[in-house]
Parts: sequence; C-alpha cells; structure tokens
Amino acid sequence: MTSWLKSSETITEALHLPLGHAEYVATHRLQERLHRLRCQNEIPDTILTVEHDPVFTIGRSGSAKNILVPEQVLNDAGISVHRIERGGDITYHGPGQLVVYPIVDLRVHGRDLKRYVSNLEQAVINFLEKIGVEARRRAGFPGVWVDSRKIASVGVYVKHWVTRHGLALNVDIDKGHFSMINPCGLDIEVLSLADLVPECPSMEEAATGLLTELGTLCSWHLTVGDPQKYRGERYV
Amino acid sequence: MNDHEPNETHLNEARLTEVRLPDLGEVDEVTIIAWLKEEGKPLKSGEDLVEVETEKTTFVIDAPRDGRLKRIVKKEGEKAYPNDLLAEIE
Repeated sequence: MTSWLKSSETITEALHLPLGHAEYVATHRLQERLHRLRCQNEIPDTILTVEHDPVFTIGRSGSAKNILVPEQVLNDAGISVHRIERGGDITYHGPGQLVVYPIVDLRVHGRDLKRYVSNLEQAVINFLEKIGVEARRRAGFPGVWVDSRKIASVGVYVKHWVTRHGLALNVDIDKGHFSMINPCGLDIEVLSLADLVPECPSMEEAATGLLTELGTLCSWHLTVGDPQKYRGERYV
Repeated sequence: MNDHEPNETHLNEARLTEVRLPDLGEVDEVTIIAWLKEEGKPLKSGEDLVEVETEKTTFVIDAPRDGRLKRIVKKEGEKAYPNDLLAEIE
C-alpha cells in the first residue's frame, strides 16, 4: 500500500462535506472557493462527495470529437457539456456515480503528483476489495479497472500545490449515457459496482467506505462538516 | 505564493530568471498544455504562467517574480523533463 505520508505518522485533520445531489457548475464554483481557502490555509484538507445531474466534462487535453452523438441528442437527454481545467480528456458524470473532489494541500503530503493520483486509485481498489471486488490499475491507463472494463476515473488540477477535481466511481450508472462518448478519448467499456455485487451499496455507503480508505492512505482524521457553511450567498 | 526557486543569471546587465520544470515527485515527463502569457508581455509574481499535464493531472506553474516573459523555450505540445528550461523572464 503506497502512501504519500509513508515517512510520517502524523495524523492531520480533514473535513468531509457530503453534498448529496448537486448541480455541476455550482459544485465547480464551490471547489474554486474551497481551493482559494485551502491555499490561504483557512480550511484543512476538504473532501467533497457528490452525485451530479448528467454532464460530460472535457479536460485540458480533451476534444469534443470524442462526443459520438449530435448536439440534439445531448439536448434531448438533458446532458450539458463543460470544458474544465482538470487533466485528461472527456468523461461523464451522472446519477449513480460517486464523485469525490479532494481539496488537498500536497505541500504537506510529499509534493508528488504521481503518488497522489496513485493513492486516489488505491483508495478505490481497497474499498472494492472490502466488498469482494478485485480491481486493479493498468499501466499507461490511469483509473481503476475490473478486467478490461473501467469502473473509476481520475482527473486532477493542481495550482499552488493545492488540488481540485479528483475521482469518479461508477456505483450504478446509466451506461447509455456513457455510450455517447469515447471515455477518456479511448474506445473502452465501462461498468458499475451494481454489475458486480448482488447487493450494491447505496451512494452514502460507497462515499463512507471510499473515504475511509482514502483517509487511511492520507493519514486523515476525518470529520463530517456542513456544506452550507462553505457555499456562500451566490451558491444555487 | 511562489514555490519555485528562481535561477538568476546576469547577462549584459540584464537580470534573467530561468523558469524550469519543478520537481513534481516521481513524475518522469510532462506535456506543455498551454502558455497562459505571451512572449513580451509583463508578468506579476505568482501569476499563472504555464500549464503542464502528467498522469491525468494539470499542474499550474506560476511566475517566480515580476518582469517580462522574454522567451518561451518549450512550446505547447512539447514534452518536458524535470529541471528542463521552460522560459526566461527579464
């Protein structure tokens, strides 16, 4: 098990803000706000968990060419498209997918981008192992895979050594939406936890289980906070 | 908020600061995604200068000091390696 705090046993305080169901753009604004506060050291490492309405997001190295259907089909399905600052190509977020946005100061966690991403993946692998699913990394293809199918994606943005964006785990998604894109710019198949276990965990159970693993890897003492406190007046 | 130690050289009395790819941990190489300032334009210390990408991660390098972006050495789309010279500021 890799950890970027391997050299230190120090436990640091961290805040978990469970947003439940929240709109993509408003959540993005909240990430920016928390990122600013973390840079100013006004808040501890803070982790958002959220479930979005259907959206496609395109990262810095991505292309709209990986959307395989006409705009009208997206409109009819109520799917919006957003170009964002994280690394990577195109991905999908929507109901039944647990999205985790850690706002983490990597200066206190070893200043290592590769190990940070590796720990995001490892948290998913450890959580899945606990519920009887064997998952792994694939060299050269970031994310978490079950055989040749992808169950979780990663995509991160780091400024002033503070992260935003993060990972998305398919708990029980509408795969029809995913079929409208080449996820990550690759021709790959995706799957959900619900395809693999007879009793699929709820979104809350998945969030708790995943954050427990991530918290262990990051040596966090996690406290659940009230998201409303951080939303600001213009949050919708 | 500036984490990068500028390397300064003195050439014909002009103070040049090299912007190099910082140590990002176990990262072997990055791709230059976007220069956020144009050559010849003034800069303020801490302003976003260039975005690089590795392992599905965008990393923003900021300007190490006030000055002018004299020369971009690594262009968008090029690979860069730890400590590579990316640009010069005067």
